[in-house]
Amino acid sequence: MNRSDERRERLRYVLVATLSPLAILALWAFAAARGWTSPIILPPPSAIWASFLDMAANGYSGVSLWTHVAASLARVSVAYVAGAALGVGLGLLRGRSRLIDAVLLAPAELLRPIPPLGLIPLFILWFGVGETSKVLLIFLSVLLIMMVNAQAGVRASSLDSLRAAQSMGANRWQVFRFVVLPSALPQIMTGLRVAMGTALTILVASELLGGDRGLGFLILDASSFFRTTYVFAGVAVIGLIGLATDRGLAWAGRRIVHWEGRR
Amino acid sequence: MTAAARPLPSHEPPDALLQAKADGAPPVLKFEKVGFSYDGRTIMRDVSFAVAPGDILALLGPSGCGKTTILNMVAGFLRPTAGVAVVDGREITGPGPDRGVVFQAAALFDWMTVAENIAFSLRCAGARKGERRAVAEEMAALVGLTGFEDAYPYQLSGGMRQRVGLARVLAAKPKVMLMDEPFSALDVQTRESLQEEVLRIRDRTGCTILFVTHAIDEAAFLGDRIFLLNDLKAGAYDTFDVDLPTPRASPDNRLHPSFLRLRETIYRRMRH
Repeated sequence: MNRSDERRERLRYVLVATLSPLAILALWAFAAARGWTSPIILPPPSAIWASFLDMAANGYSGVSLWTHVAASLARVSVAYVAGAALGVGLGLLRGRSRLIDAVLLAPAELLRPIPPLGLIPLFILWFGVGETSKVLLIFLSVLLIMMVNAQAGVRASSLDSLRAAQSMGANRWQVFRFVVLPSALPQIMTGLRVAMGTALTILVASELLGGDRGLGFLILDASSFFRTTYVFAGVAVIGLIGLATDRGLAWAGRRIVHWEGRR
Repeated sequence: MTAAARPLPSHEPPDALLQAKADGAPPVLKFEKVGFSYDGRTIMRDVSFAVAPGDILALLGPSGCGKTTILNMVAGFLRPTAGVAVVDGREITGPGPDRGVVFQAAALFDWMTVAENIAFSLRCAGARKGERRAVAEEMAALVGLTGFEDAYPYQLSGGMRQRVGLARVLAAKPKVMLMDEPFSALDVQTRESLQEEVLRIRDRTGCTILFVTHAIDEAAFLGDRIFLLNDLKAGAYDTFDVDLPTPRASPDNRLHPSFLRLRETIYRRMRH
């Protein structure tokens, strides 16, 4: 395959990836226009778009749409960055030290199968319904996902590359820094994408807890007043944030882990 | 020296072999009654030999004969369970840059450029960036990789990857270079040109080489001395001295009567 073939291939991918959601939208608009769906249950895309424009111009519940978006993004990014940093750190330590792995095994693996949403009542009891509960809930789920991925990544380094490093004079730290860590990066990057999806899910759920800011709040509030178009608009904004962050992480991953799949 | 087989008694290698060379240079690598067993199974017993500085010792034998075990003990990846393995007068206790390894699958660091791979040992030793770059360029030139310093390993062919593997070992200026079937996955042309490259590098650097292979041709073309490992569990191996004209890297040596004779001798010996 030559360079222009590759470019054509890539163009076709982007084209299909763009056309597929547009086709779904068209089908949806068609169904709504034919009156096959109730506007309360499934309003037409045009009405949702109008609600979005309304929110963008006039805000929602006395607060600008961008304030809602910013409130959600602030929660999720603080929790995500902190959870990922600690999770990767602990996962790498577990992968490198059997002692630390033994210490963390039971607590981590007992916590992991519990759906984070099942912890909401406890978190409310411990931390109230404010910011702390929301952020900690996201933080915890990101941490657990990243710990598993980082630990699995440590095992990805080949025996030969570890031996090669040792036989070129690398000490324990240098083996870790120059071989184990880079070998773990592909798995860590994949984990970061999975964790972002989960973080956004937990974000919306945690915002259902209460408060008067955030996209989750907006969706819950709109639905209790049967303003379905606003619910859809809110959901769409979250979806777009998810899509954008995932594409961004995938793009960053291809650049950081440029050697992956090319051996 | 002749290309005749000289089967040795199993347990008492003659002094001549332990002294390695007639001119009396002390051996750079020496095994004294080395044994290795794992899980109660004996892999080898009472293996003794010595390698003189600048020599290429080829360890020849089928898979599972224990040749890689010997290499791994020299590298320090495995500890002998009996006897002592000595490099440059010091017992081997672990891996170190004085014994670099060229692996069969290159085992390059895909996240580093060619230059970074080559200068890895210097980076571990704390050398500055400028020095690392200079050595990387020098070694790249030595193995014929000039112009590829900033490429990544996955952008290179198999033969070029092995050249990087060679260069990064040479950059550490090892006492012994250990090569574990490094060319067995390459096509014939690439393999032969790399074999010649190894001989040229040895002539230029004076590096001692332990070369593990299962190919008779490779052992006979490259080695100064060949050990045919028959039965290491009993400490038995045959020694062959290679007698070919210098420069050894000349491809004509592949058709030299002495080469052909040695190849036949070893072949018959392997088949008994």
